[in-house]
Amino acid sequence: MDFPSRFGVIVVGGGHAGAEAALAAARMGVNTLLLTHNIETLGQMSCNPAIGGIGKSHLVKEVDALGGAMATATDKGGIQFRVLNSRKGPAVRATRAQADRVLYKAAMRHILENQPNLWLFQQPCDDLIVEQDQVRGVVTQMGVRFLCDAVVLTAGTFLGGLIHIGLEHYSGGRAGDPASINLAHRLRELPLRVGRLKTGTPPRIDSRSVDYSVMTEQPGDTPLPVMSFMGSVDQHPPQVSCWITHTNARTHEIIASNLDRSPMYSGVIEGIGPRYCPSIEDKIHRFADKDSHQVFLEPEGLTTHELYPNGISTSLPFDVQLQIVRSMRGLENAHILRPGYAIEYDYFNPQDLQYSLETKAIGGLFFAGQINGTTGYEEAAAQGLLAGANAALRAQGRDSWHPRRDEAYIGVLIDDLITLGTSEPYRMFTSRAEYRLILREDNADLRLTEKGRELGLVDDARWAAFERKREGIEREQQRLKTTWIQAGSPVAQAVEARFGAALQREYSLLNLLTRPEIDYAALVELTGEGVEDPQVAEQVEIQTKYAGYIDRQQDEIRRLQASENIRLPEDLEYSGIPGLSREIQHKLTQARPQTLGQASRIPGVTPAAISLLMIHLKKRSTQSKTADQEA
Amino acid sequence: MQLDQDTIAAVATAQGYGGIGVIRLSGPQAKSIAVAIAGFEPKPRQAHYCSFLAETTEVLDQGLLLFFPNPHSFTGEDVLELQGHGGPVILDMLLQRCLELGARQARPGEFSERAFLNGKLDLAQAEAIADLIEASSKQAARNAVQSLQGAFSRQVHLLVEQLIQLRMYVEGAIDFPEEEIDFLNDGQILGRLEHLEQDLDQLLQQAGQGALLRDGMTIAIAGRPNAGKSSLLNALARRDVAIVTEIAGTTRDVLHERIQIEGMPLHILDTAGLRVTQDRVEQIGIQRAVSAIQEADRILLVVDSSKEADADLHELWREFFDQDPDPKRITLIRNKVDLSGEPEGLELNEAGYTILRMAARDSVGIDTLCQHLKACMGYQPGLEMGFSARRRHLEALRRAATLLQQGREHLLYTEAGELLAEDLRLTQQILGEITGSFSSDELLGRIFSSFCIGK
Repeated sequence: MDFPSRFGVIVVGGGHAGAEAALAAARMGVNTLLLTHNIETLGQMSCNPAIGGIGKSHLVKEVDALGGAMATATDKGGIQFRVLNSRKGPAVRATRAQADRVLYKAAMRHILENQPNLWLFQQPCDDLIVEQDQVRGVVTQMGVRFLCDAVVLTAGTFLGGLIHIGLEHYSGGRAGDPASINLAHRLRELPLRVGRLKTGTPPRIDSRSVDYSVMTEQPGDTPLPVMSFMGSVDQHPPQVSCWITHTNARTHEIIASNLDRSPMYSGVIEGIGPRYCPSIEDKIHRFADKDSHQVFLEPEGLTTHELYPNGISTSLPFDVQLQIVRSMRGLENAHILRPGYAIEYDYFNPQDLQYSLETKAIGGLFFAGQINGTTGYEEAAAQGLLAGANAALRAQGRDSWHPRRDEAYIGVLIDDLITLGTSEPYRMFTSRAEYRLILREDNADLRLTEKGRELGLVDDARWAAFERKREGIEREQQRLKTTWIQAGSPVAQAVEARFGAALQREYSLLNLLTRPEIDYAALVELTGEGVEDPQVAEQVEIQTKYAGYIDRQQDEIRRLQASENIRLPEDLEYSGIPGLSREIQHKLTQARPQTLGQASRIPGVTPAAISLLMIHLKKRSTQSKTADQEA
Repeated sequence: MQLDQDTIAAVATAQGYGGIGVIRLSGPQAKSIAVAIAGFEPKPRQAHYCSFLAETTEVLDQGLLLFFPNPHSFTGEDVLELQGHGGPVILDMLLQRCLELGARQARPGEFSERAFLNGKLDLAQAEAIADLIEASSKQAARNAVQSLQGAFSRQVHLLVEQLIQLRMYVEGAIDFPEEEIDFLNDGQILGRLEHLEQDLDQLLQQAGQGALLRDGMTIAIAGRPNAGKSSLLNALARRDVAIVTEIAGTTRDVLHERIQIEGMPLHILDTAGLRVTQDRVEQIGIQRAVSAIQEADRILLVVDSSKEADADLHELWREFFDQDPDPKRITLIRNKVDLSGEPEGLELNEAGYTILRMAARDSVGIDTLCQHLKACMGYQPGLEMGFSARRRHLEALRRAATLLQQGREHLLYTEAGELLAEDLRLTQQILGEITGSFSSDELLGRIFSSFCIGK
């Protein structure tokens, strides 16, 4: 049957990408349908029960600044919060939370169910309706046809999913869920480059069978961090600790002598796994000289005994898994609740996408999440939000939008994916962002809220809170700039008494704050004046301390902006450009960059090649002008 | 439209000697640099004949100054042209002055690139430049093959490799704080950083030698009055440049002469004889002589071998030898062997000075001196000149050295790992101009293959 009403945007999949995509489109006022094979698993954390971490929390806070739900669900489901790198500078600090699976999922479902313009429907999606290279709708398993303007596909690991435990394997999208076979076949018919990736998960352990007395406790931070700009500590459920144990010589011996039973090493698995999240057999094999590895026991929730042993993801057979687990200190009598496994799945080369995450081949078809070769809830959520917003913009007949590399980690993520493609599951790290000192967790709101408001993603409450903060920062910066401390004045003497150096001349408070030994708190203490809002104080301090570096990065950004703004025509024939080497012609043809700046970031593309491209473009536009005149 | 914020500068005329040499600048600071160098605000598109001033208001050169305000210029930005005398040393000093005033050395083809981006080149011109780029990339390809064996690029690659190792530790510590690899606190990074700084310094010195080879060496002739310094200058120049008389103190000011030995440029300064004098003009001449000598790459210290009094070097020029000058910078010329009867020739004495016995007036021993000067410049016949570092490379190395020093301060005093990381990223970007770029993904690849990462 044809479903009687038509949607602006249909989102297929209800994981972290799908949820943010559907919410974003609906927030922008577009009639949106979220199609999932199982409403009970909306917002499910398939792997480790944690949100955030280095590079990832930056994404979470950016999604939050654009009105997304991930940070709020984390605040409501987080049972242990920590700020990583807290002893290093603010640019690389990152919030990480263990989340109660049930609470997180409930929070996400609550947000989804209460979003105006958003409708949920439980049915697997089996087919896409495509006419003249434009997507027109989707068909569900039982044959219901939904028509729409744009489709966002967030299939996760479900496309052609194959689960491996030892040398056995079976079809599945996640332990306990069926794979999407029909849709995978259908997508393979489209002119998109497809590949296989692999990821893994460890066996889960029953907390009642663990001896914590011989392990190291890892408590959360105090004061408790908060993830969302709109969040607060009192949203957090009761907090618990994680525990640390280690692999040992015997663990390694067990693994080494069973490598022939690993699907990875016997060649059964073809997909490429992530280098930074290796299975325990990979670690032992590649770093044979290391005699011990950390294992973090992370509680899966407040109402369950299930533990996630982070660090021993494995696809070895169950009997070996049991030996491995029981070889570790404190786990001698451990009971495994669920076996670990590896999963292989289809992904599509992200080089076939535009910056909006719309496929180049099929108009109106957007991809987000693991289908694009990424890994991680946060990477998925970021893409979901962007794809959902762009699908809505398309449905509304508006221009697409994406942040640049210097505006957001989301920009870095998208640009890396579509410029470079990926041959392993892509994960965010701060070292991927060249403008790391500008793209901080603490200023995600300042970088993106305004844009989110313009797009229709940010509601009134967040906008009002944001404006208050922004005005507070400006006011305080102005006050510090115009408040002067005379040499010899009581405050100057207090500075001298505290830091040992006399002030030789008149200083503004802002000048004083640039000194490494003086922080904002000291300034307040010395002058008796300051703002109460800790977020304002933090921003003023960070912006002042990083000022020189921020200016330098801004200069770099401005310098590179010119080539970012030069667009490369989609029909550009690289093989016809004189002077370009075959290798570079091939690379450009593969990547089909959208701008000259993007082309310059493709490895192996030289500055000389970029000059040739520029000249060619100029020549082309002159020729087409001449042709127009003749015609 | 001004696309770039920075102002670029380069010598626009061909390398070597010419009647005139042109330095071209493009960018927003062109005007302020013109004011600093000329001492007045130039009128648009007018040729001003003026002096080009150093920071000390000393005259570097004299010539024509032209200022073209945007958009009516070659690049479409503010353009300044300084047309002075041709010759590497003067042009280099003038370029250096522009860089000190805030310009940055232009990359090859950067003027054309800016012109192109600002729409100042038409199609025909663009094609001509395309050919040029192609030609230069062919040259670059040939150069790449050569420099694969070249000592300089090998050294820079070694440095970059060290830098990558260092960045691996720093970025590893930042991106994987839970991995028991907190290198920022275990001294590993500081040790590696200091090692890298030392190697960079050493390379910088060596590369400085290479630049000397390309751009020439400044040689000062010094000594007592009437030791035959001006005769030596005339013999080297193979013409009468300086007035030679028997009267001590004939040479009052510093005389400049440029010569070439087998194509390699030498800038020779003949100085006033060093002695205590009441003559006001001669006193000033001697002061100038001293400062010229101090800045020279090499000193030819001339003594009259027929005079007993000149035997004691230390006695000859007390102030100078009290400072323990590097003997390797000095060649002792025992002149007038026709009078003393000493045999002509070259030897090295115990103190490390090269001693050359010759008779400058009759050009006896002048060929030996030329061979000696070639050797001083690092020219060894039969050996490939691997270290042909360009000034651009030198500048890159210097900027890298400054960044590393800044990075060390961040590590030591503020324990700011992310700022050290930023300094190292910029260092790599700068060295990448010599060796090619290195992406963050490649860096991550190194981290993953070196450390066992992953919870």
